[in-house]
Amino acid sequence: MHTISMATGNGNHEAQQTEENFEQFYETWKKQQNQHLQELITASEQVSSPTPPTEGITACSSSSPPPPTDGITATNLNNLVKRVVEHYEEYYKTKSEWADKNILQILSPPWTSSLEDAFLWIGGWRPTMAIHLLYSKSSLQFESKFNDWMQGKLTKHDLGDLTESQISLIDELQKNTIIEEKEITGKMAKQQEKAAGADMVELSHLVSEALREEEKGTKARDHEAEQSQAESSLSPKEKGFKKILEKADNLRLRTLKSIIDALSATQAVHFLIAAAELHLRLHEWGKARDEGQLSGGAGHPIFRQEA
Amino acid sequence: MAGMRCGVNIGGETETAKPVEPSSQSARRRRMEIHQFRFVASDVAVAPSQVENGRKRQKVEVVGPASPSRMCDNAVDQNSKEDDLDESKVAGNKEMKCLQSAGPANSVSSSSSTSTVEQAAAGLPAEAPKFGMTSVCGRRRDMEDAVAIHPCFSQGNSATPSNLHFYGVYDGHGCSHVATKCKERMHEIVKDELENGDCSWREMLTRSFSRMDKEISDWCSAVGVSTSPCRCELRTPQCDAVGSTAVVAVVTPDKIIVSNCGDSRAVLCRNGSAIPLSVDHKPDRPDELERIQEAGGRVIYWDGARVLGVLAMSRAIGDNYLKPYVISEPEVTIIDRSGEDECLILATDGLWDVVSNDTACGVARMCLQSGKPPSPVRSPGSDATLNSAGESSDKACSDASILLTKLALARHSTDNVSVVVVDLRRDL
Repeated sequence: MHTISMATGNGNHEAQQTEENFEQFYETWKKQQNQHLQELITASEQVSSPTPPTEGITACSSSSPPPPTDGITATNLNNLVKRVVEHYEEYYKTKSEWADKNILQILSPPWTSSLEDAFLWIGGWRPTMAIHLLYSKSSLQFESKFNDWMQGKLTKHDLGDLTESQISLIDELQKNTIIEEKEITGKMAKQQEKAAGADMVELSHLVSEALREEEKGTKARDHEAEQSQAESSLSPKEKGFKKILEKADNLRLRTLKSIIDALSATQAVHFLIAAAELHLRLHEWGKARDEGQLSGGAGHPIFRQEA
Repeated sequence: MAGMRCGVNIGGETETAKPVEPSSQSARRRRMEIHQFRFVASDVAVAPSQVENGRKRQKVEVVGPASPSRMCDNAVDQNSKEDDLDESKVAGNKEMKCLQSAGPANSVSSSSSTSTVEQAAAGLPAEAPKFGMTSVCGRRRDMEDAVAIHPCFSQGNSATPSNLHFYGVYDGHGCSHVATKCKERMHEIVKDELENGDCSWREMLTRSFSRMDKEISDWCSAVGVSTSPCRCELRTPQCDAVGSTAVVAVVTPDKIIVSNCGDSRAVLCRNGSAIPLSVDHKPDRPDELERIQEAGGRVIYWDGARVLGVLAMSRAIGDNYLKPYVISEPEVTIIDRSGEDECLILATDGLWDVVSNDTACGVARMCLQSGKPPSPVRSPGSDATLNSAGESSDKACSDASILLTKLALARHSTDNVSVVVVDLRRDL
């Protein structure tokens, strides 16, 4: 598993062709993400070069963060971040391939929990959520840093150190992401309205008529013709969904990469940790809730470890 | 209507300045939620200014509509000779011109000569005022804040020629176009009123706000002319339900004049104390409640006190549909500058809902102090990032505005956050 995650995108891609469906790929990917999480945690612990108090907390120009000194080199850190981002790229590449085969399943993934489904936006996470994730993690690290700083302690370089230029980059990114997100939401609305387009209404009526005539015994149904008519009405709609999913996934990946680009390697490590932790735990909690619901509702063991 | 009680506490007793604290239940709730974050700035950095209390009597005027007006020229140094010797010297004896002034905090006192030399050596234009500004969308999906900063925006009128600086913070509601218009126009209107009129600060600013408000409603009624890409698309009913707060500070060599409408706020940091220069216009502020009710309006508690159950502030630019209950008439505060002034903070409620005046002043003060020219802590590598040494003083203000913004976000501010920090120190 480790070797897979270390491999290049191409190498992985070949490996995935052996997966029988996207769900299997997702399960493998999730395990790899968990391994990356461990690596990221280790790396964040090794980066221990403290930033001077005022510099760390108030640095606002585009000063490059202090290079990590102890334990891990800047190159290693950059490589790790690169590798984890490539892992996300690989996810969306494979997802796109499976979307070609079964867009409906990808839009309503059976492998996610009801909890995750509630947060779903066009077959995945809402792009602006990534910015909120950054703000939240940054806020938490800022809090503890702030207290340390007030007590004159040195603090580690992390997301609490967002500089003026970083904040304006993120703010700009947020505005653009919201605009794109709204555009895609609008496209999705149009697409969903097509469910009740004239072609669909006509076809559903014709088939219902045929059904009634068959029940009366006046006329036999032509199942094949119905099938092909339904197919010709539905298949362009599936293509439409596929296009929208592509746009949504593209925005998700671009948002993620833009955030990483705006951050120092050390900060990126902290962001990727937060992203992986949130994804993995949300999935786990959701699964536990679903299982709890199935086995009679109350008292579901939310924090139960997965077997 | 009888203006506001002159309830602004000056001289360090900022903790009694209750009316300024956000009083809505939600704000209170939010403050409770953030208890786990223990802020210690006030203990560490904000020294109580007992000395100041005992020694000095600062003059602050909060001028309501019924207060006697003051002429601009009268307003200069009438009561402040004892407190502000340096400044009155500057204003009275030297002809203040933009070029002579090293920023808004310029002083011709002897203590400033060294820094003047330093700034000159760094190639800093002598008139550049020091300020920092941060304005972010934060956790909202719409950006409705706007900020306008215009150093040396006016030389005053012929009666009182001096170098004036303009700082305005606007927090829109309903849509962003009123705040945007304020950002584009307010300083021009104020400049026009200032240079072509001969009236008191209060009258001048009240007229400016009224003109601004009228421009907004004229502009809105001319629907279709503009192709502004805003959310409301300027359709009349929606357009009438759009407005903005406005807190405007004009900084002169010897005074700070703050004009406020709504719940954005200006706070002066003087010798470690926070002195509010505006009092939020909340519908449940007793005098505002009375004014609204006298005008035939009602304040309904619906997620906090709201005019007609809609708007959570009692004054604003715009908001045609809530007139005459919601008015655009500002409250004007005039305060003499003092050698102990450190900075002026203007911000929207995105900051003030989660950060107290004292905390904000403590943070800003720390940044300004740590940003002093012989910087105590600065890593060797970072020098390169100060493109010109001249920006290092601006950097302190930027640090302060960034830090306050980050603090607001860390304290779960759910609104847009806009912060302006103006360095008022004279002894740099």
